[in-house]
Amino acid sequence: MSLVKPFDKLPTLNSAAILLVGTDESQQQQLAEAILKEKKIFKINIHVATSLPLPAERDHIRPRIDLIVFMINMQSKHSLRNVEASLSHMDANFFLGKVCFLITGVGRMNHCSVEMNAVRKLGNLYCSPVLFCELESEGIRVATAQRLLRMLQICAGHVPGVSALFFSSLMKSSIDE
Amino acid sequence: MQQRENAKNPKQALQVRQSSLSAWQIGARTAGPKTVHLKSAQKHEKEKQQSASEQAGSSTQNHLEQALTYFERVKDYIPLRKNEVLQKHLATVESIALQRGLSPEGLNVLLNVALSGHLADTVNSRILKCLIPASVIAESSVVSAVSWLCVGKCSGSTQLLFLRWLIAMFDFIDHKEKLHALYGFFFCSLQDEKLGMQPHLQALLSLYKLFCPELVSITLPAKMKVRNGLILPACSTDTNNPARSKEINHVDILSHSESFPVEQLHTFSQLLQNIHRLEFPSQMGSVLRNSLLLHYINCVKDESIYLRLYYWMGQTLQEECTWYKLDNQQYEEEFKDFLDIVYKTECFLQEGFSSCEEFLYKSLPLWDGFCCRSQILRLVSWIPLSSFSEMKPHLCEPLAQLFFTSSLYFKVIQVLLSFCLTLLCILKLMSCVNVVCFSDCCSRNTTLSGLLNSVAELIHFVGWISTVALRLENNATFLMYFILDFYETVCDVYLKYNLPLLVMPPPGVFYPALLSMDSVSLNQLCYIMYRYRTNLVAAKENELIKKTILQFKFSSQTYQEYNQYIMAMVGCLWTSSAFQKDIHPQGIRLDPEVLKKTRVQEVRSSFNIVHHPALMGYAILFLQQAWPEDKTLNFNLIKGRRWNWYLEYLYMQGLQGLKLFIESSINRVSQPCYILILTSP
Repeated sequence: MSLVKPFDKLPTLNSAAILLVGTDESQQQQLAEAILKEKKIFKINIHVATSLPLPAERDHIRPRIDLIVFMINMQSKHSLRNVEASLSHMDANFFLGKVCFLITGVGRMNHCSVEMNAVRKLGNLYCSPVLFCELESEGIRVATAQRLLRMLQICAGHVPGVSALFFSSLMKSSIDE
Repeated sequence: MQQRENAKNPKQALQVRQSSLSAWQIGARTAGPKTVHLKSAQKHEKEKQQSASEQAGSSTQNHLEQALTYFERVKDYIPLRKNEVLQKHLATVESIALQRGLSPEGLNVLLNVALSGHLADTVNSRILKCLIPASVIAESSVVSAVSWLCVGKCSGSTQLLFLRWLIAMFDFIDHKEKLHALYGFFFCSLQDEKLGMQPHLQALLSLYKLFCPELVSITLPAKMKVRNGLILPACSTDTNNPARSKEINHVDILSHSESFPVEQLHTFSQLLQNIHRLEFPSQMGSVLRNSLLLHYINCVKDESIYLRLYYWMGQTLQEECTWYKLDNQQYEEEFKDFLDIVYKTECFLQEGFSSCEEFLYKSLPLWDGFCCRSQILRLVSWIPLSSFSEMKPHLCEPLAQLFFTSSLYFKVIQVLLSFCLTLLCILKLMSCVNVVCFSDCCSRNTTLSGLLNSVAELIHFVGWISTVALRLENNATFLMYFILDFYETVCDVYLKYNLPLLVMPPPGVFYPALLSMDSVSLNQLCYIMYRYRTNLVAAKENELIKKTILQFKFSSQTYQEYNQYIMAMVGCLWTSSAFQKDIHPQGIRLDPEVLKKTRVQEVRSSFNIVHHPALMGYAILFLQQAWPEDKTLNFNLIKGRRWNWYLEYLYMQGLQGLKLFIESSINRVSQPCYILILTSP
């Protein structure tokens, strides 16, 4: 089992890799398909995992991961715990703008087991942006895929003059401070 | 013992048996050998299959005791899945509760474990739903349950379920003195977000408080804006109260006995004839589409109307919100229509609804940026101006987050939105200035300078996001156009709106516009700088003549910034010296060695109106028209008299902004020209 590190591999030309971590595999699949359908100017590798750490055997064929998206379902405390456990298996350099939390299930506020505060605290603690979406609706899925692509583009260094760290500092929220 | 159907808990009907009560109280806690237990377990299974079974065997008693002991000992989190022990005990408790209810001690144990957050929510809700008392509920267990709520270990839905259980089982609590002392806590939790807004309860209580304030001693949220509408002189109070108007009708000889519904009013003469017996619709929401009723609301200073509208709108917005409640997705079109109606009403009344404002503050952080996009953005533009520190975390930051992660189109809309927002703020300020008392028109107690500061900070915020957006989009022309459009409004605030506010664009917007590759941006920028100059000169003159009532003068820093920008502009357009002489700290000045390394020939005359990348196309066209035979493009031909022809040519191509700028900021008395720089007063 190895730590995922952001800078231990060389980047591939004109491509980027995104890793989706979450317990709900069907949601990950839907999101991945939506991302692949988008028009883009660089090649994308989408990796999915239920939790970290990733198995060490495939490490040498894995490309450099540019953005990690942790998917948390508000209706499942288990998904939150899974993400919290995975977060400890990451290299600290990832939290300089290459991590993002994607929260689903906001559309069913009455059935939420996860508190909104817990999610916000997580985002503040790890200095990473928190995006909300409801992946069951197609329009929102497409919009979310576009947003993730945008972030991926920046995290992979394809936008000159804008680094991942700078970008994440733009998204800092001061609500809970 | 009472037997009653419980409407709140439709799943269970309460059946209490005296015999089972005595069996519980007297029954010994025997723990037989294992084999006996196995047999009784099988028996228990059979009992469960029989519906409404009344066998109070001691075996089920043992199972219940075991289950209760198990629950009493729960200290850590226990998941439900794959935990057969927990499932078995839970099933035991549920079945026994359904058959004959639970004792006060059992209820105590189960309440404590359900609210302690040690078990999963599904287990907690199952436990709460089976808390049926066999006799009474001990007051102490309710009090300790409430103390668990204060600790906050259980989830919001569990808390809500507990409250509903409490309301349902209230009559079974044996003593209530201590409970009466806890009412304040319960009412506070009404306002708690976690437990759901329950606005109809709040609405009822607020209305009740209006009529009988002595009976409702708690404070309810009073976020009402005081409306500064007209006051109808000597208006009779009859139209306020439709019931009373009916009364008067009995006395009135001439009129009909029934009242006239507002919906049937179509002409002004009808209104005049029936103004004393108008019947208002009972649904608060119907005022939104009816301009007559909106006028009425504006004129009448009746707090209960505002309250009703406030709560109704707040609840409707929350209930119908399509990203808040996924089941509403199919009704997205209706929700969009509703938002449109709200927006139109706000435009009609020329002010925003506070319930709408609260809804936006609450749901914007959760918004995905896609649903009802244009409707939501338009509504944001009616958020009343408050202090910037209030708006920043709830409005600016979520919008900024969406702004930066979205596609270009969205950005364009965002900038337009900011435009509207600021414009409306300014207009509102304008109306405030004409009124002597400021606290009337803004619900928060702010002074004029405070409001101006807020607007200035908002403009700075827009400048910041524009800078970043230009960086992200690599100075896209489309985006630049809308950003400069925004500053076209901002630059003229002093003259057009008579407000002492002048904010220069940030260098991250100014320099990309100055060095842009297309003439539209450059032209816009020239116009904007010309307007800034006009405003600053007017302010200076007014200051000298002491015309301004507010005696506000622009700081020397503003003049300094303006001068720095002017130097850079003239350097780029006229004197070709921007790269040598730009004095702005974030400007484009380059060291001479670096300039040399660029190997640009004749660096001192190679960047002006002729050679600027945005205008070079015009220069080429000009040369082709003036010297059609000459195939070499010799830009040096454009000097002296021909320089003036070239300028005229540019102006005729529609570059009016350029014309205004050059004529106002560059004085060409003779060959050496000097720039008109402003000194602060």
